[in-house]
Amino acid sequence: MHYITDFASGFMNLFQTGAKTFIGWMSSIVPVVLLLLVLMNTIIAFLGEERMEKIAKASSRNVLTRYMLLPFLAAFMLGNPMSFTLGRFMPEFYKPSYYAAMAQFNHTSNGVFPHINPGELFIWMGIAQGIQKLGLNTMDLAMRYLLVGLVMNFIGGWVTDFTTAYVCKSSGVTLSKEVKISSKPEAA
Amino acid sequence: MSWHSIRIVKGSGGYGGPLTITPTEAKHKFIYVTGGERPSIVDKIEQLTGMKAVDGFKTAIPDEETALAVIDCGGTLRCGIYPKKGILTVNILPTGKSGPLQQFIHPEIYVSAVGDNQISLVDDNAPEASTSETATTEPEATTDKPKFDPNKKITEQLQHKSFIAKIGIGAGRVVSTFNQAAKDSVQTVINTIIPFMAFVALLIGIIQGSGIGKIFAKLMSPLAGNVVGLCVIGFVCSLPFLSPLLGPGAVIGQVVGTLIGVEIGKGNIAPQYALPALFAINTQNACDFIPVGLGLEEADAKTVEVGVPSVLYSRFINGVPRVLVAWLASFGLYAK
Repeated sequence: MHYITDFASGFMNLFQTGAKTFIGWMSSIVPVVLLLLVLMNTIIAFLGEERMEKIAKASSRNVLTRYMLLPFLAAFMLGNPMSFTLGRFMPEFYKPSYYAAMAQFNHTSNGVFPHINPGELFIWMGIAQGIQKLGLNTMDLAMRYLLVGLVMNFIGGWVTDFTTAYVCKSSGVTLSKEVKISSKPEAA
Repeated sequence: MSWHSIRIVKGSGGYGGPLTITPTEAKHKFIYVTGGERPSIVDKIEQLTGMKAVDGFKTAIPDEETALAVIDCGGTLRCGIYPKKGILTVNILPTGKSGPLQQFIHPEIYVSAVGDNQISLVDDNAPEASTSETATTEPEATTDKPKFDPNKKITEQLQHKSFIAKIGIGAGRVVSTFNQAAKDSVQTVINTIIPFMAFVALLIGIIQGSGIGKIFAKLMSPLAGNVVGLCVIGFVCSLPFLSPLLGPGAVIGQVVGTLIGVEIGKGNIAPQYALPALFAINTQNACDFIPVGLGLEEADAKTVEVGVPSVLYSRFINGVPRVLVAWLASFGLYAK
């Protein structure tokens, strides 16, 4: 009998530990993220997606705006996964690179702006909750995450230009580097 | 006079649509039920379709004659009442599915955040029409609307809206945009954040409570607590044949991140390593999603063919350097 009750209480302990963690997050993380989401969603609704599309068209020509400025803004304004749709203004050749940079911006900015990618928040929050537990300010970490991301995601996008060229060469495919005027797919 | 079909899409932050409105002999009127002022889209719809606008606060028209209802409802009753009657509804405010009648609000019958730019003329020959009636041009009785309607207040007919009304409309728009953002945000939290929290919390409970945590800490601390170990994690995650398998939903990254976070919280791993760890656990970032993501970018089939290996290679090339740069950038972080 003794063993059975021990086992049962041990078993329940798993859930109690989990529940304590859960309610801790519910009272600390959820309200903050929720209120941030409300404000960000409002700002985004006011600024509008049309303006973002204009920026996207303008930034497709230059490496720096294409893989740093645009993905950063797109992540902030549209979040994951809608931010990828702005890649449609890129020439075909640069689409994979934009994808590579964009996907990472959807994470590295998520520490400061959790509205960007709430579904995958725990890439950031999983580690940040340890920092929180130590009583340290997570914003220090979030800022560095964003800044290192800004540089390295840009490099990531830029490197993809070369890997795309390599894959093109080895598979004998050529992709257009020209901006499409119409929405019709151009013969590659 | 002839009637024309129009197409109305949702505006920024809006919901529903696109709707195609086709005036017919039976339905050539539309109602607008907006506080005081006549919205500019009413004029635009009138111009484009040739339908007659009716102020719902002044007169009523039978439902079966109503082709469309224009409202400015922030999410209580009006936004649901016309969809419930089966009347196509256009909301000026960015209200989504909400209010007591929200079960009647569907994208096929309702569109919101509509301004002048969201309304466009449809080619009359176009086959699609969301109302089952076909457009008929019919020259008789519906009298042209006079330029100034004697039944309306002069303020409603002036081009310039009165100052007070402008403030009122502006404030209403701000409040309802906030309100809708709040509704969307609560949905996001309930649908995506809380479920994942529950799953991770249970995982932590099992790991901590059962003693697996101690084994795991022994395994994880030497890996995640120094730069070489983190590079190894980053390297493994970025391997081109492995990275697409680790990607889905970022679940593995999130779980590993949480486990490292727990060790940081316990003091087994120095907090400085949180920064390189953030990069190490996510070198496989979105490798499973490449074809879908390129689809969102409207890439050609050939681009997808090239793009998938290209992104996998670039992730591999970048993986370890990202961790190293993050490690260099972590000096001075949380230093005592």
